[in-house]
Amino acid sequence: MAMFNPETETLNRRELLDFQNERLGILINHAYANVRYYRNKFDAAGLNPDDIKTLEDLKKIPFTTREDLVSNYPYGMFAVPLRDVVRLQFSLGHYGNPIVIGYTREDLKIWRELVARIMVGVGITEHDIIQVAFNYGLFMGAFRFNQGAELIGAAVVPASVAPADVQIRIMRDFRSTVLVSTPSFALHIIETMRARGKTKELSLKIGLFGAEPWPESARGIIEEGLGIKAYDIYGVTELIEPGVSGECTEKAGLHIFEDHFFPEIIDPITGRSLKEGEEGELVLTSLTTSAYPLIRYRTHDRTALCTKPCACGRTLVRMNRIFKRTDRMISVRGINVFPEMITEVLSGIEGIGPEYSLEIKQKAGMNDQLIIRVSPPPELMQAAEDMATLHGKVQSALRKALGLRVQVDI
Amino acid sequence: MLKIKNIDAVYGKIQILHRTSLHIREGEIVSLIGANGAGKTTLLNVISGLHPLKSGGVLFLGREIQGMQPDRIVGMGLIQVPESDKIFAPMTVLENLELGAYLRRLDRDALKTEIEKVHALFPILRDRGGRAAGTLSGGERQMLALGRALMGKPKLLMLDEPSLGLAPVIVSEMFRIIQSLNKMGTTILLVEQNAREALRVSNRAYVMETGRIILTGAGAELLNNEEVKRAFLGNDYKEKWER
Repeated sequence: MAMFNPETETLNRRELLDFQNERLGILINHAYANVRYYRNKFDAAGLNPDDIKTLEDLKKIPFTTREDLVSNYPYGMFAVPLRDVVRLQFSLGHYGNPIVIGYTREDLKIWRELVARIMVGVGITEHDIIQVAFNYGLFMGAFRFNQGAELIGAAVVPASVAPADVQIRIMRDFRSTVLVSTPSFALHIIETMRARGKTKELSLKIGLFGAEPWPESARGIIEEGLGIKAYDIYGVTELIEPGVSGECTEKAGLHIFEDHFFPEIIDPITGRSLKEGEEGELVLTSLTTSAYPLIRYRTHDRTALCTKPCACGRTLVRMNRIFKRTDRMISVRGINVFPEMITEVLSGIEGIGPEYSLEIKQKAGMNDQLIIRVSPPPELMQAAEDMATLHGKVQSALRKALGLRVQVDI
Repeated sequence: MLKIKNIDAVYGKIQILHRTSLHIREGEIVSLIGANGAGKTTLLNVISGLHPLKSGGVLFLGREIQGMQPDRIVGMGLIQVPESDKIFAPMTVLENLELGAYLRRLDRDALKTEIEKVHALFPILRDRGGRAAGTLSGGERQMLALGRALMGKPKLLMLDEPSLGLAPVIVSEMFRIIQSLNKMGTTILLVEQNAREALRVSNRAYVMETGRIILTGAGAELLNNEEVKRAFLGNDYKEKWER
């Protein structure tokens, strides 16, 4: 299998552990010296940074959570002065609880390489034309495909939010060979092509899909419908997304780039470390990040790890594909929705209560549509036009907050 | 080529090195920068076997060398060039050079060839051959120290403050020589307070502060790093958000 950085991607695991260990020491010194949050956390736990000598010692450090990032907004988690930061990225979809993540030039360079590794690992070369159909406005990670592709010399078509029929025309006319999007958008493209009776006019060979869970059955439909090999990619908004891990041509799990991220699996309830092969919550430590180092960050994604050698030749650990979360977040067509956000929106609208029931409509095993049912106002005698106004109000408030069109039933 | 794992080292009751880890690959120039007292020289001395380590390990060419006698370590090709003035002042320049090859037990002709190589690099040492080393200027002494180390046929050369006390024009010359030694196949670990010059010639660098490595990265990248500027190049900031 082709690799972007074969020396690192096939490093023997003992060497890799030594490297991780070296970086861990520097990370701990860096974070303790420069981030008050970590200093307080260590001190409160009675930990001296010099106590953390090995990756095993890392387990003594308390977890870092999304809430920690929110309460240290905006710059509290930064480990470098803002002068060293060349990009500030915020994550949408977390209504009322913003975070901002900084990247130094070096951080971005690493990120770009990791996306290039994912691409080369699934057979993308400088001869490919990569059509990126992610929403560049909502999903900041979309830009990373441009940079990764440029690094390997492939051409990028940032088709972004163009509707499916335009995407299809671009794919056909430009002879795009790679599609990068959410799996649900790939499905939508297939449906659009079928509706027009034209399914055999594309040059596509490979698809990279992510940002939402998609079952193996959906992979089958997408591979058949587009005549491609479809691969899963994974990232974490608070670290880098995409670029934490990606499948290789073996489709036997996603290789985590362990020279930059140290993965652990924990029991989401007790926080206890789990053994290789056991399923639990993925916890990541960024080993090389300068601007926004995260120590034992809880991703809330459920998976298991496997360090057995992969047939592709990479020695990097593999994680199972992710289908479940350990929190209540729901991913709908690549957009993350927290039920707490819906409660917050509803309680801000006069005439209805914050209680609601949620139904998720699926297509090909993937979340497609949210139906939110709210109780009508207690005054039973509602004028029809008042009801219509209220309905419109709820619908648009939810759309604005979630970044997603939902169906509202009152 | 060299791998240092979690080294702790003490002077009496004072801990100088705290779980220090670093690695050097064959063919690299890696620099170790940091203020006076950061622990840089101690680290070199630990690697060379001149200072004991409390815990941790040192691997050179895949072999554990901690606890080995310094001469055996030199024999393996790991050679330290101490801070200038650590030459044998009453001996001649030529004798100093010959001493550098002592462990190699070369015959007369081979020794001559090796001295020729060093003379080609540092013609001044040929001119000064018969003079007592103690009469050399600062720059010449530094060249002698370097030439003497080369006589030991180093695979990895560790240089301790090669630019210390040298005139600016000699400093540039010294760094140029370091680069050309590297091009000729010698891996180099460079300890420097002159961060700007050291980072400029290095592939990678580690930054030390009070016995801990606090930063690492490509040389060129660290040259622009605010943290490095603040600590070593005399630049400061008060608030994180300043630009």
